[in-house]
Parts: sequence; structure tokens; C-alpha cells
Amino acid sequence: MSTTLQPYLKAVRQTLTAAICVENFSSQVVERHNKPEVEVRTSKELLLTPVTISRNDKEKVLIEGSINSLRISIAIKQADEIEKILCHKFMRFMMMRAENFIILRRKPVEGYDISFLVTNFHTEQMFKHKLVDFIIHFMEEIDKEISEMKLAVNSRARISAEEFLKRF
Amino acid sequence: MPDAHSFGVDPITCYSWNKDQTQLALSVNNNEVQIQNFANGKWSLKNTLTDHTQRVTGIDWASKSNRIVTCAADRNAYVWVQESGKWSPTLVVLGITRAATCVKWSPMENKFAVGSGNRCVAVCSYDKENNWWTSKKIKKPIRSTVTCLDWHPNNYLIACGSTDFKARVYSAYIKEVDEKPAPSNWGTTNNFANLMGEFSSEAGGWVHGISFSASGNHLAWVAHDSSICVVDANHGLKLTIVKTEYLPFMDVIWINESSIIVAGYGCVPMRFNYKDSLTFVGKLDDADSKQQPGKVSAMAQFKAMDSRAATDVETTLNSTHQNTIVQLSVFAGGKERCTKLSSVGTDGQIVIWDIK
Repeated sequence: MSTTLQPYLKAVRQTLTAAICVENFSSQVVERHNKPEVEVRTSKELLLTPVTISRNDKEKVLIEGSINSLRISIAIKQADEIEKILCHKFMRFMMMRAENFIILRRKPVEGYDISFLVTNFHTEQMFKHKLVDFIIHFMEEIDKEISEMKLAVNSRARISAEEFLKRF
Repeated sequence: MPDAHSFGVDPITCYSWNKDQTQLALSVNNNEVQIQNFANGKWSLKNTLTDHTQRVTGIDWASKSNRIVTCAADRNAYVWVQESGKWSPTLVVLGITRAATCVKWSPMENKFAVGSGNRCVAVCSYDKENNWWTSKKIKKPIRSTVTCLDWHPNNYLIACGSTDFKARVYSAYIKEVDEKPAPSNWGTTNNFANLMGEFSSEAGGWVHGISFSASGNHLAWVAHDSSICVVDANHGLKLTIVKTEYLPFMDVIWINESSIIVAGYGCVPMRFNYKDSLTFVGKLDDADSKQQPGKVSAMAQFKAMDSRAATDVETTLNSTHQNTIVQLSVFAGGKERCTKLSSVGTDGQIVIWDIK
């Protein structure tokens, strides 16, 4: 199963490197506005074709690009109920603190667990290749983190059950 | 060796040299235009022009008449004239209701053209009777924001690229200020806003940069699908397209009648030759042959591992520009025989390249 991870991440990296080519663009719909076109979606010619990269039917990444912004949505592997709950809580924790993450979106796109929004203002202040590195690193680490948390939950449950049942 | 100068961390949005490259007008991603003196490799800020209220998107310095035209996202353009060391602005009535994106003086400097998000190009000329600049708009059939434009050396044809994936050549002949146009191999017309040609690379991408060659017989543009297109007016408007494997280019410029330099998101300017077909010649920045900054010292690696849990310390790129190159312009030699080229990027640097 893990043999699909490297090609999957490689494909995501290549797509991100191409999609992160964004430039400053003033709105052509509302005067004096400058909004991320991938969120506003009023002018179809300014949007790129969305690309979905799937590792399997449960894990996939949706990359939607536009002239001045890019939206990356990730669907994380959630094999059982515990992982679903852990993932949901973990993502919620991060999304509530989206300001500190700078590129994180407060609500995930429909059908996905977490979304990033990268605009031209971010690429002007930060290195594009490092932003891509961050997202790939995030995707690699998230599975490990959730597995670790699941193990921790299970061991805590076992210990507390043991302690409780010692009474009887 | 490329000569690099940094103006801080903010991206340089647009710039223009004066006639003899002793002064530079530029904007660092804000509503101000800085006039910097360039002498003996050193920079000194001379003036700051602050009349715009939003981000300045285009600057052009007319070399012969020593006037500067600037346009911004606040839908305005100003023509600046220097009087005893100070620059005084004249507001231009563009009549657009969206941001202006680019501006260029015509070769004879009696007109200038402004591209805008209003899906039009406003060609402005000076009305002597009323003592102001008036504009006439080219609208059909542009369907989206105009991103770049360039004048033909005959002073009445103009090429513009837009986010509707097309590059177009129009007649910008204004009866009141121009002489009768001589026939050109793009076609002849006495009508303003007449479309001489509309081109696109097959699938198409937003056109980022467009440039006429010194003779005006060739037109090159670069688009977001990483393609470079050239139209040859000597051979019946023949279109040559090359799709490159690099990241998209943001600007293109002719350095002689058969070579162009392109630069963009790859952060490295590249040279292509045109002779019936476009061929890649080489990169101007020998980024690959540049030494990896030593074997990173063991000390630095452990420090990074300790403070940031980072296993690699490399963040900077190998190329001279650290971020997207936004605009190219000839520094010495003119478009016919360019010997030096300047480029600015979103990394806040201006770099002067030697062309061999």
C-alpha cells in the first residue's frame, strides 16, 4: 500500500508547483476590489480546470487554480469510527486557528476534510517551493499523527478500563 | 555576471528606465512611484510620487520628451512632467471603471495606451484646445482584462494580450494627432480600433507579456500554458507556437530581429531564437552550474534540527532571482541589438544581465 505514497505525493507536488503560479489581479467585476478568484468564481475565464489526484477512493486531493489564488482540499484516510472522530476533531482544532496558519481555510470544501487557500499575496511574501514543501509535508505527517493519536486513545482506554475493573 | 540590486522584500510591480539609464522609476507593490538615481552602481532615492490611491500597476518613461505616465488599480492614470527637479502630475480622463493594468508610450510619444480590467484599451492623446489628455477606447472584441500591450514602431499599430487567451493587433490611428498611416504588412487602415489580427496558441492561456520586434514585423507573446508564440508579418501573419516544459513566462522582449528573451515563474531568463521556428538557446542564469552553497556545515544542520526539526537547511533558490520575474526591459542597445537587459521580480530585486 505504501508503494503508492511516493508517486501520489510526487503527482501532487508537480501539480502544486504549476498551480502556485499566481499573480496579483484586480477584480474585473467590482471596481477597486482585489479578491481571490478561486473563491469568488464570477469570471469563468480566470479559473483553471480543477484537478483531482486520488490515491484510492478514500484519499484524494483537489487542486483548484485561478489567476490569483489556489485552493487545495485534502480528503484524509479514515478507516474506522475512531479515526473519523479523531480526524474531525484534529482538523477542527487547526481550522479554528486558521489565522496562525496563514494559508489555511476556515471551512473545508464540500466532500473534503481540510482546505488551504494560497493567494498571490502569500507567494509574494513566501517562497513558492517552500509552500509546496509545507503542504506535501502536511499530507505525509497527517496520517502518522492520526495513527499515533488512535494508539494513544486505545492505550488510555485500556489503562482506564483496567483501573476501573480492578475494583471488582 | 548578472548585476543584482535589492529594493527590499516587497515585490517590484513595475518599472521604467529614463533615456540614458541614469534614473529608474519603480513601484514596490504600493501606491507610490519612486524615482531612484543610478550612478556608479549605487542607488539614491530622488523623488516619491504619491498621487495614486491604490497599487501602481504600470509605469512608462518617455525617453525623448522626459515624461512619465503611471497607471494604477484606482482606475486613474497620471502624466508627470519634470519642472526644476519636481515632478508634477496631470490627471488623465481614462473613463474606465476597473483597474488599469499596463501603460505604454507610443514610439513618437504623442500618445499612450492603457490596458484595463474594463475589457478595453484606452488610447490617450493630448487635446491642445482644452489642454488635457483625452482617451478613445478599443473594445471589440476583447472579452476579459487586458494584461499587456506593446506599440508597433510605426506609431499607429498596437498589440494587446488579454485573459481571454488571445493576442490582438489593432489600429490606434488618431486623426487629430497622427499623420496618415503608411501601408504596413499587418494591413492598412485609417480607422481607429480596427482589428488587424487575432491570435491564440491552440488551447490558450492568459497572455502575460507581448512584444513587437524592432522592425515591427514580428510579434511575440507568452501565455500561461507555458507557450511562446510568434507571428511573422513578412510571411502573411504566420503563427509559430512552441509549448515549453518550463513554468509559465511573464514577459517577453526582442533583443534583435531573431532572438527573444523570456522570463517568468521559473525565475530564470531564457533565450530563444526565431528563424521560421522557435528554438531554445539557453538560460541567462547559470543556476545549475552554480555551486551548491558548500557542503552545509554540520553545525548548521544540527542547529536547524534542534530549533526547527528541519532535516535540510536549503531555502534559497540557486538562481539570482528568488521569486517570479515580472518585467523585462532593454538596458543597453535597443531592441535591434540589445547588449544588456534588466529584469525585476517579486523578490524585490532588479538584475542587469549581459547578452553575449
